[in-house]
Amino acid sequence: MRFLRSAPTLSEDASMAVTSRQLSSDFYRLSSGPGAIWKSFRIDVPLVFFLFCLASFGLIVLFSASGENISDVRSQAAAIVVAFVVMLVVAQMDVHFFRRGAPLMFAGGCGLMIVVLFFGAETNGAKAWLDLPGLPRFQPAEIEKFLVPMLLAWYLSTRSLPPRFRDLLICGVIIALPVGLILMQNDTGTALMVMMSGVFVVLLAGISWRIVIAGVAALAMASPAWWIFVAQPHQKNRILTFFDPYRDPTGAGYNIIQSQIAIGSGGVQGKGWLNGAQSQLDFIPESNTDFILAVLAEEFGLLGVLFLIALYVAVIGRGFFIALTAQDTFSRLLAGSIVLTFFFYAFVNMAMVSGLMPVVGLPLPLVSKGGTSIVTLMLGFGILMSIQTHKRVLPR
Amino acid sequence: MAEKFKLNAHETETLIFSRRMIVAGVFIFVLLGALVAWMVYLQIFRYDYFAARSDGNRLHSQYVPPNRGLIYDRNGELMADNRPIFNLTVVRETAVDLNASLEMLRSVIHLSDDDIEQYRTRQSRRAVPHTSVPVRYQLTEEEIASVAVNQHLLPGFAVEAQLVRHYPFREIAAHALGYVSEINKDELEAMSDDEASNYRGTNQIGKTGIEKTYEDLLHGGVGYETVEKNNRGQVMRVLDRTDPVPGRDIVLHMDGYLQAVAESALGEHRGAVVAIDPATGGVLAMVSKPGYDPNLFVTGISRAQMSELNKTGHTPLFNRAIASRIPGSTIKPFIGLGGLYHGVITPETVINDPGYYRLPGRSRPYYDWTWWVDKSGHGAIDLRRAIYQSCNTYFYGLAVEMGIDRIHDYLLTFGFGANDAIDIPEASAGIVPSTAWKQENRGEVWYAGETPYEGIGNGIFQATTLQMAAAAAAIANHGVLKQPRMLRGTIGNDGEITDVIFEDTAASRQLLPSPEQIALVRSAMVEVINKPYDSEHRRHEGSAYPTLRDSGRPLEYPMGGKSGTAQVVQFQVDSAGNRDESEVPEEFRTHAMFIAFDASAQSRIAVAVFVENGGGGGSVAFPVARAVLDAYLLPRTETFDEVSALGSNAQ
Repeated sequence: MRFLRSAPTLSEDASMAVTSRQLSSDFYRLSSGPGAIWKSFRIDVPLVFFLFCLASFGLIVLFSASGENISDVRSQAAAIVVAFVVMLVVAQMDVHFFRRGAPLMFAGGCGLMIVVLFFGAETNGAKAWLDLPGLPRFQPAEIEKFLVPMLLAWYLSTRSLPPRFRDLLICGVIIALPVGLILMQNDTGTALMVMMSGVFVVLLAGISWRIVIAGVAALAMASPAWWIFVAQPHQKNRILTFFDPYRDPTGAGYNIIQSQIAIGSGGVQGKGWLNGAQSQLDFIPESNTDFILAVLAEEFGLLGVLFLIALYVAVIGRGFFIALTAQDTFSRLLAGSIVLTFFFYAFVNMAMVSGLMPVVGLPLPLVSKGGTSIVTLMLGFGILMSIQTHKRVLPR
Repeated sequence: MAEKFKLNAHETETLIFSRRMIVAGVFIFVLLGALVAWMVYLQIFRYDYFAARSDGNRLHSQYVPPNRGLIYDRNGELMADNRPIFNLTVVRETAVDLNASLEMLRSVIHLSDDDIEQYRTRQSRRAVPHTSVPVRYQLTEEEIASVAVNQHLLPGFAVEAQLVRHYPFREIAAHALGYVSEINKDELEAMSDDEASNYRGTNQIGKTGIEKTYEDLLHGGVGYETVEKNNRGQVMRVLDRTDPVPGRDIVLHMDGYLQAVAESALGEHRGAVVAIDPATGGVLAMVSKPGYDPNLFVTGISRAQMSELNKTGHTPLFNRAIASRIPGSTIKPFIGLGGLYHGVITPETVINDPGYYRLPGRSRPYYDWTWWVDKSGHGAIDLRRAIYQSCNTYFYGLAVEMGIDRIHDYLLTFGFGANDAIDIPEASAGIVPSTAWKQENRGEVWYAGETPYEGIGNGIFQATTLQMAAAAAAIANHGVLKQPRMLRGTIGNDGEITDVIFEDTAASRQLLPSPEQIALVRSAMVEVINKPYDSEHRRHEGSAYPTLRDSGRPLEYPMGGKSGTAQVVQFQVDSAGNRDESEVPEEFRTHAMFIAFDASAQSRIAVAVFVENGGGGGSVAFPVARAVLDAYLLPRTETFDEVSALGSNAQ
């Protein structure tokens, strides 16, 4: 109730800022007081602090999960440093730059993905990587997680909300185009994430619940058809395995069985760092990437899991704050989508490793080994910080 | 208008967004709550279950095979020891794709179809899961390196060191010691549950000879250990261990030196030699030729090696020392003792030998060997001369006088007709015929015409070389028989030998004539070898004397003996009483026999020699017997290593 009462005040302030934009377009708040210096560097201290804690905890777990391989930890640490730098660089850019550049960047992103279709390098069956000379290998589809919400936010911010049906159709096209391209690269996991990042924007923009419910119902009804006509054997297998891992305990069900054994045997306090039998004796597959949560849960127990979830909640909470206090529709939608995507990411991984969901190839954000994933994530947090630190001065 | 509308719209938009964020927050809260609840369920409520599963993953009980007991000869020479080899093993449960890995291994190490087949047999009889099973034994160093390089492609496979049996002198004493080889299904099934669990870690078991007879002593008790294994089946730590009890080291009566000498004395001949210590019945040597290398069997003999062994057709695996044969004239001293015991003859009994014997009222002649020489006989002859001249006519008559059933009963008491050896269960019992025996085994009555042949050992009677040696030892021991035995004692942890005492019932069953009469037979046997030509009397020399004289080396100790020549086929005898002895193919040549003993008062050794298709006992078998006695009774001029090298290369 209180929130509802104060909301108009906030939006009034914001609208005044919008109207006065022509007058003081480059006049940013540089007030004195605690945190002023950080603000001037476009740094959101709580967010950076929580991310730093997460990354550090991740490194500790990774050291154990990679079999005390210090060089793995070193390269992961290097990736984290690079990712923080990327985040800070992105944070320096004005959020309006993203808004103005959204269509162009989106077009560029799609262009890159078409290039990938022809010249991409293949890894794990997905032809999704671009190997440009002089640049580290990267996956253009990863950036789509931001480009799609950016374009959607840009488009919807030019429309009145809640979106009308015609707007939703256009949103659908904006989402479907890159998702289709990514599916053509044979990378279902990323396609799902890009789609979700777009869907979150549409949901936050106020799409009618009726449409949402109708959509969910349509999906539910279409799923038998999908199962019969579309689903690949390995996809079916994953879902069957989810319902009964013991139908193939040494094959498809092996990962999830061993992972649950690791988690369950960790108990409340865990077996201690570097002492997880499942982890150290190589019973957990992919223990330093997708299944790293099993190592954490085995060695640090329920307390460790709660600590990790608390850190995620802190990051997500700060993201909520940034999204709610953003000054315009574009910023709000973009910030909300980034935060929800991040949550979705972490939750899907944790649910999958603990056996609550079928196995999907997603890493645990900021903990799993993998430089690209971390840099992409931090790029998103850079955008969040840009939104938070590039607010106009508001008269009181 | 437009301005106002926009403001209202903006308000609405902010409101919508905030509401949607609240809904999202609720969703996040619910989802994370569910996740936490699930984690609490897994980590608290199902902790015991998963902790047990985790231990089940990493902890494995495995059996530790005991080291097999060593076998020493009486001089402390190691006849069977253990040496380390490196085997490629696999744990079936951790091998991801066994067939693919085996196929891949073919290009890395030598792995034949035969090896794979043998592995599958081994795998099929291993009931205990998660234990390693040998795929190939005795990897070379290069193969160990190749496996190590390709280890990542071979989940579940490992190179494991193992101690296996090794017979350092190879062919020497192969038949006596026997060999170990892989346990087969029948052997496992024949075991009680306790025994079977004691063999859980063991791959080999004694198959023949000493290795089989004393399997229980040599094997020891299995140990256990709990180890932590990683996902590839590699042992990371040993957490708990019950040490195996090693098998007992044993000492044999066997003299390895003597064994080697006997083998080389037989030379290229097929045959057998058994030497016995008359005072104890201990087997000093037990030779069978041709021999084989028992090391071939330890880790499984290949088909190629097996057919190589059998290609001569001379059955090298067959132990001739414990197979029964007709003994020829070597039986005569025992028939003589029987005649004396039953009072059928006395030492003074003299018969006339015209060169043949006829049953009363029958016309068919039974010829003496002298008949084939010059159609004469021995003339007047007593028991002593009948023994050293090996007179057939005398023993034809004696056998008939005694009757087959008394011969049967008497010979039984000298260890014939049954396997009297204490610890050589594989030995043949031989045949001691009687009227009852013939009725039972051939369904016929005993014909009187058969009895004379039993007097000279060319009838139905059969004895093993071992039995002949034991009987010879009895005469050397002044008539008293000792049951043959291989095992002398066991070695304790302190290195001290504990003699094994066997209950010996042989002497109590014996029917012995007076000591003087035994001494007469004993001295007649000394004369077999030592009695020289008598210029005044024809045919008064010992039957083996010519060979001794021709050797040019006089004996340095008193020695008694008896030659024997066993016919393999009946010679054709024409109506004029001539037999066709022209060219006889080797396999139809007579078997040469000789029993001999140290004739001193405290006899130290008796020996029986059997040379298959060797020819005459006095000329062929006697030198072998002498070489054995020389080696045992005279100072040794060669070391065991020299002699054993000779013996093992003779094959």
